[in-house]
Amino acid sequence: MATGNYFTTYREEQRIFFTHIDGLLFALFLASFFLWPFFIELSSKYMLILDNILIAVIAVYGLNLVTGFGGLISVGHAAFVGVGAYTVACLAQIIGDQHVVITHAWPLMILAAGITGAVFGFIVGLPALRLKHLYLLMATLSFQLIFQWVVGFMDFFNQGQFIYVGRVFWFTGEVGRSVHYRFWYYVLLVTVVMLGFGVRNLLRTRYGRSLVAVRDNDRAADAMGMHPGFTKVFAFGLAGFFAGIAGAMQAYLNRGAGFETFTLHESIQYLAMTIVGGLGSLPGSFFGPAAIKILDLQMENLAGWAGNVLPSSLDLATGLRPLSFGLIIVLFLMFEPRGIANWWRILRSYVKLWPFRY
Amino acid sequence: MSYFLQLVFSGVVVGSIYALAAIGFVLIYKSSRVLNLAHGQLIAAGAYITYILTVWVGIPIYLSFVMSMIITFFLAMSVERIFLRRLIGEPIISVIMVTIGLMSIIDGVIYLTPFGSENFSFPAFLPTEPIMLWGTYLSYTQVVGVIITFVLIGAFSWFFKKSTVGISMRAVSDDQMASMSIGISVPKVFGLAWATAGLTAAAAGGILGNIVGLNFDTLHAFGIIVFPVVILGGLDSLPGAVVAGIIMGLTQQFASGYLDGNWGLNGTADLLPYIILLVLLLFKPHGLFGTHEIERV
Amino acid sequence: MKTKRFSIRLIVSAVVFMLAMPVSAMAEDYMIGLSIAITGPTSDAGNPYSKGVEDYFRFVNDNNLLGEDTIDYTIRDDKYETAITKRNFEEYLDMGMVFYLNYSTGSTLALKRDFDEVKMPTLPASYHAGNIEGSDYAFLPIASYSAQAIGLAEYIVDHHKGKTPKVAMYVHPSAFGRAPVGDVKKSVAAGLDMEVVEVVEHGQDLDVTGMLQRWKSKGVQYVISQTVQSPVATMLKGASRMNLVAKSFGQKGKITFLGAHYTGGNDLIVLAGDAAENYYWTTSFITTSEESYGAEAQVALAEKYGRNDKHANSHNYAAGIIVAEVATECIKRAKAKGKDITQANLYQELLEIERHERLLFDDRGGAGDLFQRRSPGR
Repeated sequence: MATGNYFTTYREEQRIFFTHIDGLLFALFLASFFLWPFFIELSSKYMLILDNILIAVIAVYGLNLVTGFGGLISVGHAAFVGVGAYTVACLAQIIGDQHVVITHAWPLMILAAGITGAVFGFIVGLPALRLKHLYLLMATLSFQLIFQWVVGFMDFFNQGQFIYVGRVFWFTGEVGRSVHYRFWYYVLLVTVVMLGFGVRNLLRTRYGRSLVAVRDNDRAADAMGMHPGFTKVFAFGLAGFFAGIAGAMQAYLNRGAGFETFTLHESIQYLAMTIVGGLGSLPGSFFGPAAIKILDLQMENLAGWAGNVLPSSLDLATGLRPLSFGLIIVLFLMFEPRGIANWWRILRSYVKLWPFRY
Repeated sequence: MSYFLQLVFSGVVVGSIYALAAIGFVLIYKSSRVLNLAHGQLIAAGAYITYILTVWVGIPIYLSFVMSMIITFFLAMSVERIFLRRLIGEPIISVIMVTIGLMSIIDGVIYLTPFGSENFSFPAFLPTEPIMLWGTYLSYTQVVGVIITFVLIGAFSWFFKKSTVGISMRAVSDDQMASMSIGISVPKVFGLAWATAGLTAAAAGGILGNIVGLNFDTLHAFGIIVFPVVILGGLDSLPGAVVAGIIMGLTQQFASGYLDGNWGLNGTADLLPYIILLVLLLFKPHGLFGTHEIERV
Repeated sequence: MKTKRFSIRLIVSAVVFMLAMPVSAMAEDYMIGLSIAITGPTSDAGNPYSKGVEDYFRFVNDNNLLGEDTIDYTIRDDKYETAITKRNFEEYLDMGMVFYLNYSTGSTLALKRDFDEVKMPTLPASYHAGNIEGSDYAFLPIASYSAQAIGLAEYIVDHHKGKTPKVAMYVHPSAFGRAPVGDVKKSVAAGLDMEVVEVVEHGQDLDVTGMLQRWKSKGVQYVISQTVQSPVATMLKGASRMNLVAKSFGQKGKITFLGAHYTGGNDLIVLAGDAAENYYWTTSFITTSEESYGAEAQVALAEKYGRNDKHANSHNYAAGIIVAEVATECIKRAKAKGKDITQANLYQELLEIERHERLLFDDRGGAGDLFQRRSPGR
């Protein structure tokens, strides 16, 4: 691990891994994610939670792009995720949920859901051409609520009721109940890694840099020849793409889509994950979802434990969840506005420089 | 004709509660440019405090109404002091997220009490027979609610126009630097703005609780309706909030009165505010009375 | 550097907190899980329901109604979110659950296939008729919403004086609310002499006078509701203000309000006050305001475990008791036949509990009461 920078060409400075050892360590780190299920057996519940965290990571990639790097606050992210999920589910409703396209061509379906999400993202991003800050937030809020109403009301979406999606097939046959969560863990992991590299590289491209420039000062960016409006719309489109993929994964994981998973409450959760993780940072997209979901879980455990100690305190315990959720957001914003990614950064620099102090 | 009038009256009643809720929202935005997403929760808290004072402590309702306004006044002021004071100067998204976090915190606190999951209802303190007016039915609670709303609105308008404190709040919302140079304490004004918002929230909550009953879900959903109203009126305009509230109330009633049931539509009253919001944002984002900030993208 | 060390310590302690695994409870006997909305939407029904389940299982354990064995019950709050319900379900499966109690319509529909796949006998609190369609493992403890709504419709037709009665339906905008509408319309098509004038799915309305006036002008005489108490209370209060509520069944020129299980009960009286007078409510439970052995037992149970009056007299409390009773009864019968307590065997027992059967629970040396309940399926 490099303790300092010594670059002689611009090319070197732009590399993702500064030394070969860096790259090797990262590869080992990744490999461990792929290999640990062979050694440790986790119960279905924890696999489900892990899968949900990974899905949230994908969704948060998108939200981080638009809110973190782009500076455009979006309170409608769950609606985009819903768009992705319903793409799969509605198709399942039309052609039957055990149909070949759904069960065998599922990678294609996931991609299609991503593209649908991107299309909706573009549409919702259009107000970004004219609105800023708070007003854009309101526009995304209204999109979220209109989405909720439409899904709950139209027969095409089964009026919000659960739409079934069948089990998928892999080369070895149908993915049955016992391996369902493990299988999707691997699929999700592969997707997360691929998309993660995608996001990291995006920020090195011309578009990525113009996005950051537009966030910092859009008039100056305009003067430099970038098109701020189009950049913003494109950012929304990208966010929609990521969200669509996350949604389709969710539909397959839960074997169906129901409207309760795509409400305003979920949008707020995604925003919280982005912020707690660290706005505008790639490691933040991992830490945020993990932190929030694990917090939820720990609160549940705490509640269960308290339920054994204090008599009928079930009321007490279940009030703790929103309380802890709100507290963690507020505390992070008050004391660590750059999120957990900042801690990661401190930790990394500490480890890098050790045993030196600076 | 009486059908139409009934819808109008219902619209005005509902609209004036919206107006009262919107005023609090606008107050905070006007003085500190903060979008308070936790306003719905403040309204619910105000409603529950009024209930506690009336039913558990036993104070007559008129008094407990006023007292809950005072208590929420201090509650909101302390919220501002503890949570938002540190965030002056931070990017707007951080502040909005803090209010979102506040939303969850107040939610959690309410869930810790029995109010979160059970239904309560205010004891009836006004006669329950309806008032007949030109073929429409009104209840005493509704009329009293409207009267209180307009009294409060009038009081606030006077307060902002004439009293020193009110004028200093307007000054701060206009230009913080300039007001500091005159000697106005800006943080104090922020606190005051939040406190006044808490006051109106408690009033709105008390009236709402009397008309609809205390069910946390209903109160929760109420907080989100406030957004289309304030955008319609203009985020920094008090008279705008009032007018927009009434318009929104009327629109909802007309929608459910004339649109629902035809063409298989249902529940349009819930959808329409957000469609209006979206359309407004695209064509006239500053609403009816908001100050027009000229900014080209 | 002090801040850096502090930051490091903070980070490490946070990591430790996040990874802290819960101390697992001691292994106990038969695991039954309940996932219910104790907070969140419809928690005003979910809260007493969960207490009913809890109290009954405590009663069973305290009075050794299963001999040496106890019931290890776990109750989790899923806030009406299907994702959380699913997670709870998976966790209960890992914990070796033998019987499952569910709550919301949405999650029951979503998990229907899972029940079949793992062959888990399930009793939901949602009486949606669709829950048992296409599933062998979900059972309805009482009459479905559709059956209740049709029952009300038939009551109207039987007791209406005059020509074809005009009926409107006021339902919740979800699967829960819409379920009976289709079935009522089917019965009208099959010959029930009634006209369904309008079906209204309510929103978050604060004021429904417009709707009521419209009904009045269309000549609606009866309103069947299938939703939760709060919207019905709003409707009743509005109607009573307009002097529209019928004082006797089918009174001319007025509207008679009727409703299914979740629309009424004590909560409705709390919310609507006097306006709830003359509201016709159907449910399969005998309320505590009537003289009945079961109702007395219910109140006694609540008193024993220190529940407040509201919960003790709530029909949701009774609903919780009955599903717990049925589960316990299945275990009892399986034990009596000497079978192992597994999902499959309990499922067999559940199938064998017949309609209209009386389930008698003995008091074996405790301070308990005799419980007598109308059985599932009535």
